[in-house]
Amino acid sequence: MAGATTTFRTKVVAPRRATAESPWIKGTLISILLLFFGFFLILPLYVVFHEAFSKGAGVFFKTFQDRATAHAIWLTLLTAAIAVPLNTVFGVAAAWALTRFQFRGRSLLISLIDLPLWVSPVIGGLIYVLVFGRQGWFGPWLFEHDIKIIFALPGIVLATTFVTFPFVARGLIPLMQAQGHKEEEAAMTLGANGWQIFWRVTVPKIKWGLLYGIILCNARAMGEFGAVSVVSGHIRNKTNTMPLHIEILYNEYQFAAAFAVASVLCVLALVTLIIKTYAEWQAERQLRAAAESVE
Amino acid sequence: MSIQIRNISKNFGKFAALKDVSFDVGSGELVALLGPSGSGKTTLLRVTAGLEFAEKGKILYGIKDVTERSAYQRKAGFVFQHYALFQHLNIFENVAFGLRVRKRSERPSEPQIRARVEQLLDTVQLREFAKRVPAQLSGGQRQRIAFARALAIEPEVLLLDEPFGALDAKVRKELRHWLRNFHDTTHLTSVFVTHDQEEAFEVADRVVIIDKGVVQQIGTPNEVRENPANRFVEEFLDLGRDSVPV
Amino acid sequence: MAGKRHILPGFKLTLGYTILYLSIIVLIPFSGLLLKTFAGGWEHFFKTITEPRVVASYYVSFGISLAAALVNGFFGVIAAWVLARYEFPGRKILDAIVDLPFALPTAVAGIALTTIYARNGMIGSLLEPYGIKVAYTQLGIFVALTFIGLPFVVRTVQPVIQDLSVDVEEAAATLGANRWQTFTRVIFPALLPSILTGITLAYGRAVGEFGSVVFISGNLPFKTEITPLLIITKLEQYDYTGAAALGFVMLVASLFILLISNGLQAWDNKRKGIA
Repeated sequence: MAGATTTFRTKVVAPRRATAESPWIKGTLISILLLFFGFFLILPLYVVFHEAFSKGAGVFFKTFQDRATAHAIWLTLLTAAIAVPLNTVFGVAAAWALTRFQFRGRSLLISLIDLPLWVSPVIGGLIYVLVFGRQGWFGPWLFEHDIKIIFALPGIVLATTFVTFPFVARGLIPLMQAQGHKEEEAAMTLGANGWQIFWRVTVPKIKWGLLYGIILCNARAMGEFGAVSVVSGHIRNKTNTMPLHIEILYNEYQFAAAFAVASVLCVLALVTLIIKTYAEWQAERQLRAAAESVE
Repeated sequence: MSIQIRNISKNFGKFAALKDVSFDVGSGELVALLGPSGSGKTTLLRVTAGLEFAEKGKILYGIKDVTERSAYQRKAGFVFQHYALFQHLNIFENVAFGLRVRKRSERPSEPQIRARVEQLLDTVQLREFAKRVPAQLSGGQRQRIAFARALAIEPEVLLLDEPFGALDAKVRKELRHWLRNFHDTTHLTSVFVTHDQEEAFEVADRVVIIDKGVVQQIGTPNEVRENPANRFVEEFLDLGRDSVPV
Repeated sequence: MAGKRHILPGFKLTLGYTILYLSIIVLIPFSGLLLKTFAGGWEHFFKTITEPRVVASYYVSFGISLAAALVNGFFGVIAAWVLARYEFPGRKILDAIVDLPFALPTAVAGIALTTIYARNGMIGSLLEPYGIKVAYTQLGIFVALTFIGLPFVVRTVQPVIQDLSVDVEEAAATLGANRWQTFTRVIFPALLPSILTGITLAYGRAVGEFGSVVFISGNLPFKTEITPLLIITKLEQYDYTGAAALGFVMLVASLFILLISNGLQAWDNKRKGIA
């Protein structure tokens, strides 16, 4: 066959590259992905919005005029507004201590910070009930002084803080580890003090990783169900957050209303994903820039 | 077996990496592809191995047209710059890999595989490392294993992509001599890519100088050194003389 | 880095704050759990955690979580491969949406999945004629836990696929391996530690999951009751010691899963010769 061609300038039918699958296999794998994601990710999203508007836009908007719903939204925002800044300050401090210094027990500390991600959120609620509940450690003392933690806002904030505890720290530690601290040292030799170094050198370097951590922390804080469910007591207009309110509406067969509230959290989740994807992309760019400047 | 490269053109998007490149590598010859980075020399080697495919032209191994065959059908021995050893396999299994993936009818028996691998490990003087994993070896040792692995399939041609590029100067020199000696005893048709003229002139029978996807000159080291074909070759060789430490 | 300790300022401040905050939020409450667990004595503890209804909940929680994690292992590898290697329209959106189970509140996932798989739901009504019930059965718990664990395998395997050097696959090809052989002998073994790690993470998450499960499970004792729900039941009955005992069991299980995950990491490092 080859000998028959006199000129070698014929166009070559390139065979498949050694590192590529046949189009048939490729198509099958992509189809499996689409089916899997379709059933498990896209369909649930679709159902939330579909059900939210199943009784028309009127019912949808009326849900939010309901006092209990409005209060649940307020409580959720308030809880996140306390828990997220607390965990952000902690995350930055922890990341600074863990990536700028070597000390004994460092890896144990990292494992402990991760702990809330590994245990059931129900345990996150349980431990506070055991400490602050009526029969708990401080229960009698708190009761005497008329301080309510469990079945009240402080308990909800504590439980939320617990489950969202690691997010900011975990977003920052790998980034700050990879970036190193040459620039901070340089700033110090130029006479900058600790705060100046932090605000002028470190924060600009880590801002995308920080945003990434905060946004995930916030999403979890607003959506937490298990831990908050244990400490809340489900008191309408008092200790019901949005996820708990969804449960109540759902169990009362007010499906359209339940999904209307759910759709708000769903939008929050989607916005979170968009910001997260963007922040991740930016953080990677920052990291790559750092890697290149080292070479 | 000879290699014939006929009118090879290859583009990456709008960038023409190879423009109508033709030359022959004689049976039993050791040829160096020499050129600056981005000259197209590695692309040419990869096209020869079947890891890339040219838009135009043909590749023949002997009289066999292999142009439309994929890498795994061509079975050229290929040595990568960064060794490309299988991290999860020990040294023995790395070398045995090419034998184990053969069709059942062509696959040697277990004792035959063992004998063949051990003989190759002797050739590269690393038999006592058979049970180690690649991460436990030095760069020079890894590259020798990569040689042994490529040779295990009894290739008819050996293609080497900057085989010494990742090694330090001393090891590079040792391996250079080793390669030349190996070639003198086996006369396996070989092509190796390098940007180091010192290396090309010391090891190769003939040198092919490439720039901007075009062959600039082909000749023995002496011919090229004494009669540079054009300005580029002259400047490229001059540049090397000044800057590459011996 | 080891030699440059304490050059930068803020070591005492940040480490001190970290430990203080960690103690308040995590360590002190956890010690409360430990003390309460054994407050009723060993015998009571042992009796609580071996009640038949409790043991049945272990099977549900740990068994179905395993099934869901394994299914995620299979589909997760395919998803990671497709997202890392193929270019097709919509790839970036699918890549971003992988993390939905991280971002979507579990209660929302719970009611959405229940609605889909209930008898009159979109998929439930399709399965009904064949006698397959999903919502309010163990199959429903499986669906919820698969949803919850979906991102873990994808997100641990995907970067490893991206970092796989193409060299190694090409080397296999030049040695005569076809694509399938390259996958089974070269790519899969390289991915294996990350696949197992991903499955472990998905399992760890599924075992403790509560929000998405309670809606779809129906919570029938001995059949579809998960251990975290039993903890809440005990709390509602003011059986704090019992709740603490079950919490302790769950905590030990989580630590065990964490240990496996660390072990996998150590094995991978050793194999790569890093350790």
